[in-house]
Amino acid sequence: MTFEIELGGRLFKVAIDAAASGGALRMTIDGEPVTVDARPTSAGYSLLVDGRVLDAAVTDGAARGEIVVHLPNVSVPVSIDASRRRGKAARHADGEQRITAPMPGRIVRVLAKPGDAVELRQPVIVIEAMKMENELRAPKAGTIKEVAVEPGASVEAGRLLVVIE
Amino acid sequence: MKVLIANRGEIAVRVARACRELGLTSVAVYSDCDRESLHVRAADEAWPIGAPPARESYLDIGKLLGVARKSGATLVHPGYGFLAENAAFSDACAAAGLTFVGPSAASIRLMGSKTAARDAAIAAGVPVVPGTDGPFAADASDEHILAEGDRIGFPLLVKAVAGGGGKGMRSVASRDDLLAAVRTAGSEAASAFGDASVFLERLVVRPRHVEVQLMADSHGTVIPFVERECSIQRRHQKVVEESPSTRVSEKTRRAMAECAAAVARSANYTGAGTIEFLLDVAPDGQEHFYFLEMNTRLQVEHPVTEMVTGIDLVHCQLRVAMGERLTIDPERALTPRGHAIECRVIAEDPDQGFMPSPGRVLGLTVPHGPGVRDDGGVAEGFEIPIYYDSLIAKLVVWGESRDVAIARLRRALSEYQVRGVRTTLPFFRWLTEQPEFASADFHTAWLDGVLAARKGEPFTAVSDADMRAAVIAAAVHAHAMASRVSGDRRSGQAGASAPASKWQQASRIEGLR
Repeated sequence: MTFEIELGGRLFKVAIDAAASGGALRMTIDGEPVTVDARPTSAGYSLLVDGRVLDAAVTDGAARGEIVVHLPNVSVPVSIDASRRRGKAARHADGEQRITAPMPGRIVRVLAKPGDAVELRQPVIVIEAMKMENELRAPKAGTIKEVAVEPGASVEAGRLLVVIE
Repeated sequence: MKVLIANRGEIAVRVARACRELGLTSVAVYSDCDRESLHVRAADEAWPIGAPPARESYLDIGKLLGVARKSGATLVHPGYGFLAENAAFSDACAAAGLTFVGPSAASIRLMGSKTAARDAAIAAGVPVVPGTDGPFAADASDEHILAEGDRIGFPLLVKAVAGGGGKGMRSVASRDDLLAAVRTAGSEAASAFGDASVFLERLVVRPRHVEVQLMADSHGTVIPFVERECSIQRRHQKVVEESPSTRVSEKTRRAMAECAAAVARSANYTGAGTIEFLLDVAPDGQEHFYFLEMNTRLQVEHPVTEMVTGIDLVHCQLRVAMGERLTIDPERALTPRGHAIECRVIAEDPDQGFMPSPGRVLGLTVPHGPGVRDDGGVAEGFEIPIYYDSLIAKLVVWGESRDVAIARLRRALSEYQVRGVRTTLPFFRWLTEQPEFASADFHTAWLDGVLAARKGEPFTAVSDADMRAAVIAAAVHAHAMASRVSGDRRSGQAGASAPASKWQQASRIEGLR
């Protein structure tokens, strides 16, 4: 069984041979072999990776095929077989990033217009919610493709605000 | 006896636990979005009080008194925030024949006014930040203003009486800049607040915020406790609190405690309260402290005091409210045993400028083990409302020394997971690795300065080892899901063993199609 696993902009090809001894999984990550003993826990898996202890919880991600793997100290969003899925469902163009309202609120300022180049983490929009002004920053460097709101607008959580390509 | 808890979240849970320990019946209240909140489940009784916005529920005195009447509660614990420092609420409880777990309305009013509280502190012989006795008259002469500046000393602050949020405030480094600063601060305050009056106060450079907890009963006993150090603040909000302070000598500790007790006595204070001080440690090591204000309630950070003294402050509050005499040994209250540190775990995304991050808590792993206390207010599956303070839990650790407490804090932070919402946990993991944290070399503006210098750099770094671990876990998960789908197909029914996730259900449906 093979999977394409994408995280942090990197793609890993994993092949799993289920029939290893004693319930352990033999897998290769980009060709590199590793033996994993995996047991389900209430929140995810207890793993022994070549004898090293690894506790991982798993929750749903933002979209189908996306999960979040919670390791000690860090949570990592992961997509599984995203390219296969994309081929099927023809989702929006590759590399396009959308900024959506993380909570209901009011747009205070829009700091960029279509065509502007933005850097990673550059503030692009200011939303007021819970009595605080919050800057929303660019999730990647790129060009503003669309600004879908105007200052003063009240927005619901999840409303599309800005598209960066 | 029944206690109405006029609050929500972790502090309502904390009070309900204390009630159960003392054999008191607890009565919770909840707004429409809080029915599934942990504080409802922690109480013995719970009653609805209306719509989510606080002024229609947790701040509605009439509704709260209605629940007290209906349930037969005789005591009302306000927690912190909401109505805890509202004199009208204290009055209303008294008028309804209820015992307010806190000071009298008169004490709340006195300490609620900054100028009256400062006057009370001066009258009790407690040092305050040197300044002018009152605002300048509108026609004050330049000579008078300069003379006052010389008397107080530079650097100093020009402050508007009606000021707030930094408006109408100017710091003045030298005599030459004083008159201009008085004029601009005055006109700024006039346009912002409609009141141009300003006064002068000495500017304490790199101050520390140190506070003294106290308990007072209705028989005249006032017990001050070992200090708390709360200098790690973000935009004037405390982020980490600890006890004792590493910069307070035994001599200063006792002097501060005496001053705190003097203020409490002069205000006829009863119940739990905190006197906040500004601590100025001069380059020559001399410690000066100045009265800032009094908080007439139990504070968020009270657990660090409980951890180093072994005294339960909520028990004390309830006993005092029932008229009991405090039997705390004053030496025990003033002598720290080991060291305690608290972190406020908040539903905010530190990587987005600490923006609130409400949402559903999909999973929760809370640290346990030696020296770890978690005062939590949410359970798995709970949707954190947008209407209230976004504090999820307070993580408190204890160690026999500060170094041990820090090691324990790091360990507990590595175990702590709140899945589904962003929290300040990654920020704390970063903070506890900072050299200034280890050496306790900070002041009230330290954190804001460090954060500004980082320019939004993420607190979480994903190492190559983390990436590899995540790939392995994701592969195991994908394999488990796929195996279950093919197993289901063979047996013709949905699998029942593993945790159901939306993704799993989706993939299962796809597989069956």
